[in-house]
Amino acid sequence: MSEKQGFVSGVSGKFLAGALVCAALAVAAFGCWVYQQIGGLGITGMSNATSWGLYIAAFMFCVGLSAGGLIVASSAHVFKIERFKPVALPAVICSTVCICLAGCFVLIDLGGISRVWNMFVSLNLASPLAWNMCVIVCYLVINVLDMVWMVKGEEHKVEVLSRVALPVAILVHSVTAWIFGLEIAREGWHSAIMAPIFVASAMDSGLALLLIGLASLEKGKVFRTSPALFSSLAGLLCVCIAVDAYLIGCELLTMAYPGTQEGNAILAEMLTGSTAPFFWFEIVGGLALPFMMLVFSRNRKRRALVIGASVLVVCGVFCKRVWLLFTSFVHPNVYGGNGITLGTKAAQQGGEGMWSMLGSYAPTPFEVIIVIGVAALGVLAFMVLCKALLPKWQSGCTQGEANDVASVVSECDGAQAE
Amino acid sequence: MTRLAIAIDLDHCSGCHTCANACKMSNNVPMGMLWNRIVVENADGIYGAEGTYPNLVRTYLPLACQHCENPACQKVCPTGATYKDDKGRVEIDYGKCIGCRMCMAACPYNARVFNWNEPVRKPDFNYGDADVPLREKGMMEKCTLCKERTDRGQEPMCVTCCPMKCRTFGDLDDPNSEIARMKNAGSAFVLLEDMGTKPQVFYVK
Repeated sequence: MSEKQGFVSGVSGKFLAGALVCAALAVAAFGCWVYQQIGGLGITGMSNATSWGLYIAAFMFCVGLSAGGLIVASSAHVFKIERFKPVALPAVICSTVCICLAGCFVLIDLGGISRVWNMFVSLNLASPLAWNMCVIVCYLVINVLDMVWMVKGEEHKVEVLSRVALPVAILVHSVTAWIFGLEIAREGWHSAIMAPIFVASAMDSGLALLLIGLASLEKGKVFRTSPALFSSLAGLLCVCIAVDAYLIGCELLTMAYPGTQEGNAILAEMLTGSTAPFFWFEIVGGLALPFMMLVFSRNRKRRALVIGASVLVVCGVFCKRVWLLFTSFVHPNVYGGNGITLGTKAAQQGGEGMWSMLGSYAPTPFEVIIVIGVAALGVLAFMVLCKALLPKWQSGCTQGEANDVASVVSECDGAQAE
Repeated sequence: MTRLAIAIDLDHCSGCHTCANACKMSNNVPMGMLWNRIVVENADGIYGAEGTYPNLVRTYLPLACQHCENPACQKVCPTGATYKDDKGRVEIDYGKCIGCRMCMAACPYNARVFNWNEPVRKPDFNYGDADVPLREKGMMEKCTLCKERTDRGQEPMCVTCCPMKCRTFGDLDDPNSEIARMKNAGSAFVLLEDMGTKPQVFYVK
């Protein structure tokens, strides 16, 4: 135990370097955001035809990523899955950080942040975005309480909270799906299966991120996860991938079978058109390949393979957000020349550049820097919170948990000795 | 109740774009966007046509906010900036608009335009009517059915300026109005009826 205490305390040079790089990226992003506030959203690649871009894709992605942590942590308590308990705190930290990032992306995407107080004084309760704000705030509060009580070792409170946390976690993903799924104007989004798909892809990307996080904590000598738990989480990830693939399959078949003009247009765009690279990466790299890697129990014991599969899943789900979002912006419902007035910087010059028949989008460097910077801020927050909270938790937890941790540590040591 | 609306006679529309420009001038619509535009249906450009030569058809479809009875944009607006007013128009309270663009994703007609940048005007002054509110960057805008003019009892500018007299303005809830008669005439149709948005603006062929 004393040796372990030694290796968790103190800040290494590597940690500092990593933190500095993340902080620098975050500062660059902040600079770009200030520039965006001055110049308007016109510095992004968005237009009247494609009115949401990388920010909203990143928002969906981050909401999803936050799923894994809270679901693992609260099912440890709700379903009494004792073996998940040793990773409950890193899991909740991961979840908290991701949901904060999601909130950041929505705020960054707003064109009129100075008028955002209207969300408090004149909220329209019929709007999915209003539901989203309420549920995300709830979710964040639950995460923070969970974190605090876990560190303090107030086991009973955590247990009660977990019963609320699980349904709220499901709701947060469903509400995010409804922002898109309730829009009758967009053929590719308007589907009842959108909420279950969001829950499923949140679970697989979230679990995958948790596995990556746990592995990097071990690499950074902050926290150890037992190989048995690691492969058991990998098994859960495999199941989630299968569920996600199944739901996506259902959606595609339902869209393709009637052969309607709108459905065909969306499918053509996805299978062979502008969003095809993202679609096929998701299907092959994000679903098929990681599933084949993780379905064999022997593979789940090989850490490098599990991490490889996790990275693929996370990238795959990001691609999925991209094709889901942008495919539905390509074809306007009322098609004809000269199309839509774009409202962009180029459009302000007048002439042909003012118009577009179809929606198109490419992120500008500013957008990319902002998204990378916000992600870096997330990594930094995860590093700092883990460094600050995990040692306290391990030394301050109840006797039962201390035994768990001790056994995990000894298991780890055993595994390393092998 | 009042349900103000515009009827557009497509048989007589010559695609002259006068209504689009009249709207732009009257409502101070900045460069790079239009509240009211003329779409050449199913054609690849403004001089295109539908079909294969020699069987060609060109239909001009003036397109702006449809002032729906069941407005998809209004439901999703998180601050209630978009609202249905007592005269049946869909309006925007610019001061409440946070620029989230939910309404833009929700509108099936691509009728809304957003101030992505600081609005630019050529010539460089506010050419709109004096009582038309100014919009800043980060605010959504769209056809208001010329709220300020119609509140004064005038017709919307597009109706006044159409050289072919294609446009009829009136109250659908007044059974004696010309527009109510046109609506019931049988040849009236609305855009994307299956979306269930129930547009008040309708077309006659």
